[in-house]
Amino acid sequence: MRPKIAIVSLTCDEGCEFVLLDLGERLFNFFKKIELVDFSLIEENPFPKGKIDVAFVEGNPITKEDIKLLKEVRKKTKILVALGNCAALGGIPEMKNYQGKEKTIRFIYKKLKGIANPDIKEIDNFVKVDFTIPGCPISGEEFLKYANELVKGKIPEICQNPVCTECSLRGTKNCFLSQKKNCFGLITLAGCGAICPKNGLLCLGCRGIFKGANVKNLLNLLEKFQNQKEIEENLEIFGIKDDVNNLKN
Amino acid sequence: MRISIPHIHKIEGEAGFWAEVAKTGQIKELRLKTLQGLRQIEGILVGRKVQEVPIVVSRICGICPVVHILNACMALEKALEIKVPVSTDLLRKLFLASQIIHSHALHLFFLSLPDFLDTSTSLSVKGERSRTIDIENDLDLLKKFKKEARAAIKIRDFALKITETIGGRKVHPITPTIGGFRKLPPKEELKKILIDFPSVLNSAAFLTKTFQNLTYPVFKRKINFASLFSRKEYPFFQENLIKISDDKISIGDFYSNKIEEDFKIPPVKKTKYKGEPYMLGALGRIKNNGQLLSFQAKESLERFLKKNNLSEEDFFGSSFYNLFSQIIEILHFLELSRNLIKEILESDLEEAQKDFKIDKGSGLSAMEAPRGTLFTYFEIDKGGRILNCNIITPTAQFLNNLEEDLRFYLPNISKLSQKEKIRKIRALIRVYDPCISCATH
Repeated sequence: MRPKIAIVSLTCDEGCEFVLLDLGERLFNFFKKIELVDFSLIEENPFPKGKIDVAFVEGNPITKEDIKLLKEVRKKTKILVALGNCAALGGIPEMKNYQGKEKTIRFIYKKLKGIANPDIKEIDNFVKVDFTIPGCPISGEEFLKYANELVKGKIPEICQNPVCTECSLRGTKNCFLSQKKNCFGLITLAGCGAICPKNGLLCLGCRGIFKGANVKNLLNLLEKFQNQKEIEENLEIFGIKDDVNNLKN
Repeated sequence: MRISIPHIHKIEGEAGFWAEVAKTGQIKELRLKTLQGLRQIEGILVGRKVQEVPIVVSRICGICPVVHILNACMALEKALEIKVPVSTDLLRKLFLASQIIHSHALHLFFLSLPDFLDTSTSLSVKGERSRTIDIENDLDLLKKFKKEARAAIKIRDFALKITETIGGRKVHPITPTIGGFRKLPPKEELKKILIDFPSVLNSAAFLTKTFQNLTYPVFKRKINFASLFSRKEYPFFQENLIKISDDKISIGDFYSNKIEEDFKIPPVKKTKYKGEPYMLGALGRIKNNGQLLSFQAKESLERFLKKNNLSEEDFFGSSFYNLFSQIIEILHFLELSRNLIKEILESDLEEAQKDFKIDKGSGLSAMEAPRGTLFTYFEIDKGGRILNCNIITPTAQFLNNLEEDLRFYLPNISKLSQKEKIRKIRALIRVYDPCISCATH
């Protein structure tokens, strides 16, 4: 019997799902090996009643329905995978957590009745998460690599290295850190091929902090040439400020 | 009688449909219900540095991040009085065209095609008697329509290659920023893309035939269309005029005085113009600027009208033809992409990113996203932080028109079984290619 896979979306931009569709033929070849029981972007079928072997969950639990769906998926699923930065770390929407409970929303709507406005929390605050595919968005290559192990019931090991190990700017005068810029490559989990620095953007940590990273050292270094506010603001963009705060002490 | 679709699959973002119809056929209530939360992107941006804006607005939408980034950058460039070189504009145009192509190709084949399949079309599956074909899953669609699938994927791969070459990544591109690009694409990479062009154009011509031979439902009503307007070229990138119905208005006037945003039913601010709903996207752009399409696109459209014995009034009276309009635009934007690549190869790519000084100011930009005109407005304080931000997406603008269409359409299908009714309603909703993620940002 082929393993049953679900790809489920909570509130989000569905960017990680489009990374999958953008794989084209390669995604559909992967789907041949499995039974796709839910992926509402490409099918009409009702939500599966039975068990799910691997569920990939993307997005933020914002509405009550999001949370209900997330819990329902957990109940049915052997291996639940957080797909991408929003599910794993809160993502861009988590920026509002640092702006004051009602300030952000009041900018858009004056009357707040009927609008869900919780603090943004990672999905592991609601359910147990067995594995995370990191990044904003995820990398399609990585998805295929890990998904092939996951469908066999194995939890993959991700090599715990910093983005700097993959960075083409490393050791050159173009290295953002050597230019005294706010780059988080030293503490961020590798696997993306340092795609942002390669394209001229400093690493903002969207893949999360790798196990064993020396967060305190990097912060001490950054504080020598950047002001505290700038550093903190950059940590807010992809939802790693809370994680950094937990690790630095 | 109640008709409800709790969760409409195969659209971007999450929405449901709900209607209450009296025995007399009168529609008591009808609405599309947004099922996702508000991420508050505009609120989040207030107080943040301008440099962060492209990164944040990109995450409004996973299918059309390119237009969100470009429109924000250009609004900010107006605010900061930055002039970018011609070569930057060329790259940006190519970048935007590539996104329209791959978004349309995804919608045409993967999201909407099965809604239009019945065995009376030439796409009928051999050995089956005439009836509607229920394909509930794209994986079955891929098996049954292998050639069409290959063509759609080929077009998407081609356009995505352009997006990736310029942007550094397909989804949430990295290079585009205020003043230009963090890094320029190597010319040899752009040149390589051209190798596939002839066969990709063939695939598009093949898919045009597929969509020409579908059975489109009977539907006709007076629709107001809005899009950017130009006299020079098929407008999509940077124009100062909006054409809506027969009015031509500056984008500033339209944005500030004419567009009526409704704050009553969160999380989407739906809009109207002079109290009326309006339609955007491929069908609207062709209605307003069709004479400026490429030769092949124009010819294919004429052939379609002739074959189906349709007047222009018929064609622009039915939102269902948004589907065929998308394949026409694919033909147009493919040709434009080839021309742009050639022009870029012959021109000097000047500095990647223009330096700029931080100052206070405000700027509005309007651009054609795959689904219609996107408005992005920013005010910046003298320290370079966002004071005010408003992003009006195409879906937020056309949802009222979609509901109006559904109200008009429901009596036409009242005799069908509940299952067939739902199938038809879904088809009409999906033909708009709504992006609920964009609408709810």
